[in-house]
Amino acid sequence: MRVGLFVTCLVDLMRPRIGFAALKLLEGAGCEVVVPEGQTCCGQPAYNAGDAATARGLALKVLDDFEGLDWVVAPSGSCGGQIVKAYPELLKDDPANHARALQLAARTRELTDFLVNVLKLEAVPGRFDGTVTYHDSCSGLRELGVKAQPRQLLARVPGLLLTEMGGCEECCGFGGTFSVKFGDISAQIAERKARNVQASGADAVVLGDLGCMLNIEGKLRRMGDENTRVLHVAEVLAGDA
Amino acid sequence: MRSQAMFFKARVGDKLADPVLQENLGKAKSKFVDARARAVAEYERDEGADFESLREAGRAIRNRTLANLDVWLETFEQKAGERGAQVKYARDGEEICRLVVEIARRHGVTKVVKSKSMLSEEAGLNKALAEAGIQPVETDLGEYILQINDNEPPSHIIAPAFHKSKEEVAELFTRTHGRPKKSGIEEMTREARETLRSHFLSAGMGISGGNFLIAETGSVTLVTNEGNGRMVTTMPKVHVVITGIEKVIPTLEDFATLMRLLPRSATGQHISNYVSVLTGVKRPEDLDGPEHLYFILVDNGRASLLGTEFQEMLRCIRCGACMNHCPVYQTVGGHAYGWVYPGPMGSVLTPLYTGIANALDLPHAATLCGQCSVVCPVKIPLPELLRGLREKQVDMDLRPKSERLALRLWGWVARRPSLYGLAAKLAVRYLNWLAEGRDRIPLLGIAPEWTKGRDFPAPQGRTFRELYAERRRREGR
Ligand code: SF4
Repeated sequence: MRVGLFVTCLVDLMRPRIGFAALKLLEGAGCEVVVPEGQTCCGQPAYNAGDAATARGLALKVLDDFEGLDWVVAPSGSCGGQIVKAYPELLKDDPANHARALQLAARTRELTDFLVNVLKLEAVPGRFDGTVTYHDSCSGLRELGVKAQPRQLLARVPGLLLTEMGGCEECCGFGGTFSVKFGDISAQIAERKARNVQASGADAVVLGDLGCMLNIEGKLRRMGDENTRVLHVAEVLAGDA
Repeated sequence: MRSQAMFFKARVGDKLADPVLQENLGKAKSKFVDARARAVAEYERDEGADFESLREAGRAIRNRTLANLDVWLETFEQKAGERGAQVKYARDGEEICRLVVEIARRHGVTKVVKSKSMLSEEAGLNKALAEAGIQPVETDLGEYILQINDNEPPSHIIAPAFHKSKEEVAELFTRTHGRPKKSGIEEMTREARETLRSHFLSAGMGISGGNFLIAETGSVTLVTNEGNGRMVTTMPKVHVVITGIEKVIPTLEDFATLMRLLPRSATGQHISNYVSVLTGVKRPEDLDGPEHLYFILVDNGRASLLGTEFQEMLRCIRCGACMNHCPVYQTVGGHAYGWVYPGPMGSVLTPLYTGIANALDLPHAATLCGQCSVVCPVKIPLPELLRGLREKQVDMDLRPKSERLALRLWGWVARRPSLYGLAAKLAVRYLNWLAEGRDRIPLLGIAPEWTKGRDFPAPQGRTFRELYAERRRREGR
């Protein structure tokens, strides 16, 4: 099975270790992982800013980059959602590419969803001594139905105890460019999230999207919380946390 | 009502710094959100049916209506006419005001009692009535509180005054009613009730909104919790219903379905305290009811959405669930949105009804988290509509040049992998230089809005593509 890893621009830029953790998990499960060299960004910033032309250009590029692979896997519900939901929409007036977009959408999965529902992974390499709480990122949860998958996998990590926080499905306030257009509102929403994380008493908040990760970590640190760790689910599962 | 939507961003600071508002928002959030969740769970348990199918049915009913809106409106007009009502159409707010004043004058009315009508807010009707020498009295408790507070605009579509604290209301009542200050909600409600009673008895005309218009019977339905709607629509000799043309539905059966959705979504009630189906004028055998009944059906921008990508918005049944569940609304409240409708539905409706160029911030004032569309009882894809409006702003050249340019440049670079790789590498170096060896950047010059309220975590060190290329070389591949 040839699996294309969609690294995502934020992992590339900010947290490469998450890309390597995803690689480790997929290879460990027996996949032949291909990391297309030319990949950059899924184009969501342009799509959400209303610049459909730019977003379409990048959609076509991703279609080319990931041509001919059995699966495309992203350690992000947000970028995964862009490929699955937005590409077919963006290309609906271009019959040939629309068909390609639909095919790509059908082959694209968020990482934990792929591990659970396609690979039916039983054991994970990681070990984590402590309590974690899981933040459901919006796109993964509401566009791709990622909810049970990460929890199922975390439950298999020796030493890890999962405790749910209040409002785990509530948005953290990131919202892409929203976070820099309306910084005040965004930071205030992040504060509610951070307080929920703290109230859960967990050692770490685990999540599946880089945007939320930077937002929540940034807020916790600004609030003077130096202890609560903010981890991507891939790092925890791979034992790299 | 004059739109203040251009000032969304400017108003946010005040809203965030208002402790009373913040406290009330916190309370309202848990109240509405928890109540809805409980009601949905109980529905699924007690009826053995899933709420999702009910939402689907609600969506289908509203779509069926909108597909032949003209036909259903004609049917409604005919049926209402058969029962002695007069149906009039208003193109915009101005026309609503003109028609209402005309009707009031015809019947020699000098005082009007009103129950909740969002259309009257759209039109700024109270001001027009007052200018015509007709006294409008709001009788919905929340609307009444706002009216006596110098006609403050509502901040929520079903709980218009919830931004006010009990103490603020007590002050206001003392000032307005000239009675000793009360502190309990029950006492205050009784005081409002006593004050309003005399207005009900002396008003010559009642004005109400309408939750739905039933085409097959020519009826209007009112869904309320306070009972004032019944007084407004039965005591005065004249009753005027003002509602949007999109509020029509085909049958009473459809109404039954929508009524399973509306109260649960709005307040978490299984059924509202009062549900009225009002048909025609008072007949000789009737005990009460108005002698004259008028319907003013309003366009005010609605018809222009038909057949466009925004038609789905016309399904809205004004339950308020989208704002109750919206993280942005929960943070800034309703007034910041600047017009009649706040929250996600307002961010779609305000630009569409008052001009896209007049509400540039609103479609962007959303994280697109999607929770609104998950709870919407008629499954309106609000985030997609908000994004559609963002696209419209780009198409109409309404975005700042710098933003347009930055996006295009970024898109151009992102289609050129080697250039992109270099840019990413430099960006990471730059961020790390700013971090000065720490794991965070407290002040980011290129994104000051980010670091106003939180730190920006520093990058790990090098880009994935650099590290991966290195690993491949090491492995000799
Ligand atoms: S958009 Fe949907 S959730 Fe919002 S008020 Fe209308 S019907 Fe209710």
